[in-house]
Amino acid sequence: MSAVIEVKGLVKNFGSTRALDGLDLIVEPGQVHGFLGPNGSGKSTTIRVLLGLIRASGGKARLFGADPWSCAVELHRRLAYVPGDVNLWPNLTGGETIDMLGSLRGGLDPGRRKDLVERFELDLTKKASTYSKGNRQKVALVAALATDAELFIFDEPTSGLDPLKEAVFQECVKEITGKGHTILLSSHILGQVQHLADTFTIIRQGRTLETGSLEHLRKLAASAGKDPGSLSLEDLFLGVFSG
Amino acid sequence: MAGLAGTGDAIRFALKRDRLILPVCIAGLVGWMAIYVISYSGLYGTQAELNALYESVAGNPALVAMTGPTGGLHSLGGATAWESLPVVSIISGVFAMFSVIRHSRAEEEDGRTELLLASGSGRFAPLAAALIVTAAALMVAAAGYLVILAAWGYEVGPSVLLSLAILGFGLVITGTTAVFSQVTGKARAARGLVGVVIGVAWLLRAIGDTGDGTLSWFSPLGWAQQTRPFWENLWWPLLLPLAATGFTVSLSFWLLARRDIGSGLVQPRPGPSAASPSILHPLGFSFRLQRGTVIAWTLMLFVYGFAVGAVGNNIEDLVSSSAAFTEALGSVGGDLLDSYFASILSVIAILGAGFTISSVLRPHAEESRDRASLLLSAPLGKLRWVAGHTLIAYAASAVMIALTGLGLGIGLGVATGDFSQSGKLVAAGFAQAPAMWLTGSLALLLFGISSRLSSLAWALLAGFVLIWTLASFGNLPEWLVDLSPFSHVPAVPAVALDLTPLFVMTALSIVITAAGLALWRRRDLL
Repeated sequence: MSAVIEVKGLVKNFGSTRALDGLDLIVEPGQVHGFLGPNGSGKSTTIRVLLGLIRASGGKARLFGADPWSCAVELHRRLAYVPGDVNLWPNLTGGETIDMLGSLRGGLDPGRRKDLVERFELDLTKKASTYSKGNRQKVALVAALATDAELFIFDEPTSGLDPLKEAVFQECVKEITGKGHTILLSSHILGQVQHLADTFTIIRQGRTLETGSLEHLRKLAASAGKDPGSLSLEDLFLGVFSG
Repeated sequence: MAGLAGTGDAIRFALKRDRLILPVCIAGLVGWMAIYVISYSGLYGTQAELNALYESVAGNPALVAMTGPTGGLHSLGGATAWESLPVVSIISGVFAMFSVIRHSRAEEEDGRTELLLASGSGRFAPLAAALIVTAAALMVAAAGYLVILAAWGYEVGPSVLLSLAILGFGLVITGTTAVFSQVTGKARAARGLVGVVIGVAWLLRAIGDTGDGTLSWFSPLGWAQQTRPFWENLWWPLLLPLAATGFTVSLSFWLLARRDIGSGLVQPRPGPSAASPSILHPLGFSFRLQRGTVIAWTLMLFVYGFAVGAVGNNIEDLVSSSAAFTEALGSVGGDLLDSYFASILSVIAILGAGFTISSVLRPHAEESRDRASLLLSAPLGKLRWVAGHTLIAYAASAVMIALTGLGLGIGLGVATGDFSQSGKLVAAGFAQAPAMWLTGSLALLLFGISSRLSSLAWALLAGFVLIWTLASFGNLPEWLVDLSPFSHVPAVPAVALDLTPLFVMTALSIVITAAGLALWRRRDLL
């Protein structure tokens, strides 16, 4: 079976700025893939290319084997996306927003919606203009997790959530991975990523630095003369960037 | 007063942020005035020409309703003031509205005021700075009008009065905006409310000026016009805007002291926990986003049509005082009332195109607020999404301008007991729709090229307004007049309906809309 996400030598220029400079990213079906890198390294840009919101300037990007720019609508039927900065329509309530986003994806499972709302403790009757960042994020999470997508793309999905709700998010991801869904998870909470993901890609300045399983990353660290022992993802990540 | 601590810094910050846009706006206001001064002094050099202007205008109720009392038209100054005062006043009012909200309510809505207040600024500082910067800009613009008028040899005393009258209206709107910015927590809603105030100010004086004049005294725009510069030169009406500004500004600070930062006096109420089926369809959802604006505009235009229609049959009295005008009208052919209504519909259509533009550009707002990515990462095609908003814009524009015609008909019917004109007037309103579509399609084309260019559509509309005001007096070369789509709408019901220009404009809007959509599909989301 071919890769769900296949990115090779991806380049994206904004005017004279080069945001992506030959980035590689492969995610196989059923994988939970951690997508890591410092602020401004190009994670969100890569995701926006994969969503067909912006067009690649060069290189190759494929989602389920198809071009994300020209086949956007067909591909979007198979995926759900949660951005890190969720902006909602101020006059709509959380409940209305979840239902509207769900209906675009062909409808939500009502039982699943109810269950998620309870677990995230979201007040559905509030207007989005009165939600905090964390609550806006919950709206997007419920709308995405209540669908039956093949691929979930999470771009720092828990950056506004409290530790309790972050734990709920981790549970939810564990549940869907059990059913064979593929997940691309970009996050700065490395403990969370280590806990959930089985493979990782670390990028810097629009290029891929390392990719592979935790074991593979540990071996790389060992070959650089460090004690691999029980290095956590955080140690490895910091190691990569401190040289 | 501790509440005002940090006002100086806030002013410096606002000036730094607006270092480009503020001079451009001031130059725009002064430039607009200069266009009137230059074209009037060029065109009406002799007393004979001025008398001819008076004869052709004084009895024209449409021009009186649009612009104001015509008593001063016998002098160059009076003629210049007659046309420039209301237009420049309204534009400066719109500027004041945007400027005050940009620096107070919008900042607060985006959460930046919090940051400022937490770092030692007093709670009154942001509003005080917004008011001071706006008022100062209006004053600089007023000084600019005076310089232009004096440079072209207009008498200084009345020139000062004219500049102050325009300034007065701008200041009243500044204060009014400050009040509404406290009442509602949303910049968009505040702008809508102030827009209604400006519209009502214009409407009240339009009805007053074509009637016995009483209602004009209830309008801040009427106050400005009652100074009658270069004619009766009354200074005391300037006290009215002064008092109103003082009152509204005090009221806004009083309200500000009594509300929480980050919200208005009116709190958003909880809503339904599940969506109604009407917004579960992409087009239904887009309409839900536009619903408030569509209803407000439609209501406003209908009421305006009704008001104009209801006082319509009084205009015969006004006209009978001007033999030349009746003659001129007779040569065009058609009923007097019909040509009056035709010109009213033309103006409403140009103003209504403001709705068309903002409605077509709704996806631009969604894009710059970063809400579009949430929709477009779902299986909703880029093309389908923007086409849906465009469809809503075009349909609503046609409905609201046709309803303006219906309002005219019903208003006239209520006054005269004869409703038979209504059908004809609905059709006359609808005849304006292609010009509104064409304006909207140009906005879409700009949006398709790039998100940043979208706002240029407003400059386009300003151009059409300018062409309309100057073309009413035959001051412009033909080719320039022809640039505005609104010049090509036949003046029905006064003349026979010629469908050709309407078909051509409709076809053009379709082609340009298609081009705009194609460009949009090819470009990156912001």
